[in-house]
Amino acid sequence: MKSSKILTLAGLALLLTASSSNAADKVPLKIEVPRPVFIGTPKPIKGFPHLERKGLKRGEILVPAGTTNIAAGKEVTGSDDFPIIGDLEFVTDGDKDGEEGYFVELAPKTQWVQIDLKKASEVHGVCIWHFHSQARAYHDVIVQISDDPDFVDGVKTVYNSDHDNSSKLGVGKDLAYIETYKGKYIDAKGAKGRYVRLYSAGNSTNAMNHYIEVEVFGK
Amino acid sequence: MSHKKPDNSSSEKSPSLNRRDFIATTATAGGLAIAAPSIIKAQSSSDEINVGLISFGQQGQVQVEASIDIPNVKFRAICDIWPYAQKKGIGTLLRYGHDVREHAYTDYREMLEKEKGLDAVLIASPDFMHSPMTVDALSAGKHVYCEKLMSNTVEGARSMVKASQDSGNLLQIGHQRRSNPRYLHAKEKLVNKQDKGGAGIFGRITHANGQWNRAVSKARTIRDRYNLDEATLKKNGFENMHQFLNWRWFKKLGGGPVSDLGAHQIDIFNWFLDAKPTSVQASGGVDYYDSYEWHDNVMCIYEYDTPNGMARASYQVLTTTSAGGGFFEYFMGDEGCMKISEIPRLTKIYREAHAPEWDGWIEREILKQNATAYKASEEVKVDVRESPPLAEYLLPVDLKKKIHQPHLENFFEAVRMHSADKSKAKSHLNCPGETGFETAVTVLRVNEAIEARKALAFEKSEFNV
Repeated sequence: MKSSKILTLAGLALLLTASSSNAADKVPLKIEVPRPVFIGTPKPIKGFPHLERKGLKRGEILVPAGTTNIAAGKEVTGSDDFPIIGDLEFVTDGDKDGEEGYFVELAPKTQWVQIDLKKASEVHGVCIWHFHSQARAYHDVIVQISDDPDFVDGVKTVYNSDHDNSSKLGVGKDLAYIETYKGKYIDAKGAKGRYVRLYSAGNSTNAMNHYIEVEVFGK
Repeated sequence: MSHKKPDNSSSEKSPSLNRRDFIATTATAGGLAIAAPSIIKAQSSSDEINVGLISFGQQGQVQVEASIDIPNVKFRAICDIWPYAQKKGIGTLLRYGHDVREHAYTDYREMLEKEKGLDAVLIASPDFMHSPMTVDALSAGKHVYCEKLMSNTVEGARSMVKASQDSGNLLQIGHQRRSNPRYLHAKEKLVNKQDKGGAGIFGRITHANGQWNRAVSKARTIRDRYNLDEATLKKNGFENMHQFLNWRWFKKLGGGPVSDLGAHQIDIFNWFLDAKPTSVQASGGVDYYDSYEWHDNVMCIYEYDTPNGMARASYQVLTTTSAGGGFFEYFMGDEGCMKISEIPRLTKIYREAHAPEWDGWIEREILKQNATAYKASEEVKVDVRESPPLAEYLLPVDLKKKIHQPHLENFFEAVRMHSADKSKAKSHLNCPGETGFETAVTVLRVNEAIEARKALAFEKSEFNV
């Protein structure tokens, strides 16, 4: 059994409990995290003038009752049909282990993966684990939601850290961040759409793009 | 150095592959493959160096990343016993414009036999394979860049140097700090005495200290589907996947943390002190982890008979606590000291309060004042029993490339020189096999001293091949 699965009290991606202090329709979201893994010597992180301060603690996340990980097991496509290593299906397979063999590695420059939620959904949050066995930051992390599989029409951008528009999807004001085993949670504020597309453009260690897991919380 | 943000503005085709691209390029590569091994040279420009890579683990990946920005270096073949690593290596190289899909091997001997056009081989395999692979590659007429520690045995290291000498081919050992412009500046401009062209600002260096501490980490694992079969593991010297993935911790496969991490820094002791040690005493043990063989913590003290007198150098490597992190080498002289690291922010230089001012060296840009640090003249009265706080300086040199790139550049420069002048090419190497051998002798004795539980002496002759 994977240790990531025994770290949690339950084998569920979410733990939804009512809270008397919260608004009536909001409940805390518990995100299942894998065990921390650290391999090798960290590389200096340069070239990120807009890097999030280290050590920020993730506060309590509240989502509407009934919110679940609607990406689990869903089909994933991408801009790189032949990943360097790994399979696109890893992105939604529920395994967040940071070791070798659990990530899909895509080509350099701006690349994307896209999750088909199979029906128009209300998305409240997206949690991303690009690669967490080494402290590194990814360039141009952009998350979009749309009903258009080609992302031409009705595109809602819920996160964009491309401060200089090098990926040509518009200038983003969100901060770049250092990867950790906790993943990066993005508040999608109930954006509606069937498809979730995630971009990145290399990282502080090498030119490649990686995904271990993406969870989409919605209903 | 961090990886640069990609330039997506160029019209250059994206390195990602769609299905149509893949089929097209596969067909091209397949056609080429029929004649490829023998025509590599014919296709190459005269300045191009054709490279074979042995092993695409963590360090193989580092070598590739550090080589891709070096002009006219072309990866032509790859070898790895592990299909997972081989596929990853092929894919990585392909995205960087080096197509080795039809030149991938699981047996390095087959690669050496078939890839006649290779000029050089980069070796990033587990330590115990360095010696046979290097000897075979040199004997096959290739120049070799081999990762440190050059071997997990002195005899293995010796055979590598002899093969280089016998074949006349180049052998560079991957102690990459020796080509780092920050370290070169520190040694040549600051440490060296004025009769050797330096400033000698530290006076007589009497002590050195180095450390590399890492936080606790779990044994490496792999998704089950990527496990190697037992027969392949056994054939290649591994008992199981645990050993294969964590080979650095096993006695017949590697040298343990003092070899993996300490070798880089103990090598700098030898270099900066211009000497080889005369003795070492050490302590360490397998005190924390229960599935490894090598010591998870080591502390040792060397004695050096330097050109300027006795010096002692202590070193520790801990794998059970980061103790705040970082790794550095610290050289302490009677007029100043320098803590140097591959991490620039950890590098600090101090002048002893009684030493001559360094203003002249600052004007000559040999070093620079740290404007944000304490200045001695600002200090208030201190207790007479304390040494006063010291003025702080910085190196005036930065490395703007990936940290291993200058060392590979140095190797490839020597390879280009070789056909015209073999002697000049060898002397161009910043860490030839002979130097790597001295470091291997220095480092491997630490593990012996731990077992002996007493100081062990080095004979001068031990450093000769």
